[in-house]
Amino acid sequence: MMLRAAGKRLLGAAAGRQASPAGAARRGYHERVVDHYNNPRNVGAFDKDDPDVGTGLVGAPACGDVMKLQIRVDEGSGRIVDARFKTFGCGSAIASSSVATEWVKGKQMEEVVAIKNTEIAKHLSLPPVKLHCSMLAEDAIKAAVEDYEAKKAKLEKADEDGTPAGAIRTT
Amino acid sequence: MASRKLLLGLTAGRRLRSRTHQLFSVANLLEASTSHSPAAAVASTQPSGGSPAALLFSLRTISSTRQATQSAGDASGRSAVDHKLIMPEDEFHKLADETIHDLLEKLEEYGDSIQMDGFDIDYGNQVLTLRLGDLGTYVVNKQTPNRQIWLSSLVSGPSRFNWDAATNGWIYKRTRANLVQLLEEEIGELCGTPVELS
Repeated sequence: MMLRAAGKRLLGAAAGRQASPAGAARRGYHERVVDHYNNPRNVGAFDKDDPDVGTGLVGAPACGDVMKLQIRVDEGSGRIVDARFKTFGCGSAIASSSVATEWVKGKQMEEVVAIKNTEIAKHLSLPPVKLHCSMLAEDAIKAAVEDYEAKKAKLEKADEDGTPAGAIRTT
Repeated sequence: MASRKLLLGLTAGRRLRSRTHQLFSVANLLEASTSHSPAAAVASTQPSGGSPAALLFSLRTISSTRQATQSAGDASGRSAVDHKLIMPEDEFHKLADETIHDLLEKLEEYGDSIQMDGFDIDYGNQVLTLRLGDLGTYVVNKQTPNRQIWLSSLVSGPSRFNWDAATNGWIYKRTRANLVQLLEEEIGELCGTPVELS
């Protein structure tokens, strides 16, 4: 109930308090953004040392925006079977990364790197000042995929070199 | 977050010289459920003594400098802060303000000359907003921690420009686009009349 109240306040307060830089027309958060804020999907974390997990960490606290997006990949098929996120930032940033975790689930890694920030922004009706949040979400997806692939490459190399599996893998 | 902003405000005048250590891990920030500044190693050049001023200085250093190393595990440079912050803050403000004020002036003149319906420029809180009627809105603002100018374009979406001393302009690393040239191209196209912004 507190969350809902906070959501209502967010919707209402945003209209008046949003830093519309030019005193522009008042604008609230789109209902999809509020929905993701109140009911964020896939919040949480995987063990980043898990070989099936790719972790993308983008942004910086001083900017007011940090996103950590993790994917769990099925090794055999290369399909993303699960995703988690944790985001420090505005409602739009939270919603963008929440949407990102929804969209990557069930897809191949090659597919998800094609997800564009413009699609996320359109889905959430982000205003111009918040397009940067959707860009960060796109970056987070790509970073997670890259991390998984780098990990995999490292593990495969270790196998080739004959390094004892126990030295690298964490189960 | 509020406490960090207060600290930044208090130490706003200080010039940062620390260049070395990664002062805290962003991952730790996300793991911890509080937003208090972490008890991290302090910068090597902090003022001596255990005074509160030293603590403020180091916290300011933590918050404002080493973003480059804080975007963990991202060798592709895809994070928002993938460059070394070698520009002092006052220099950044000078360069960025100059660019943005220049744009403001030229866009105002342009607006007057083309008489386009719904053409509206506004500058408030150091953010430049250009509305082009029903076509949409451009927003240009400073992103001080990154020493960047951020653009939200209704044509090319979001982009982030770093100062490039070699070309004396603001460049978006991913596309090598120059901020002023990009705006000239896009706005000229959208409004049907060429514009000079440099």
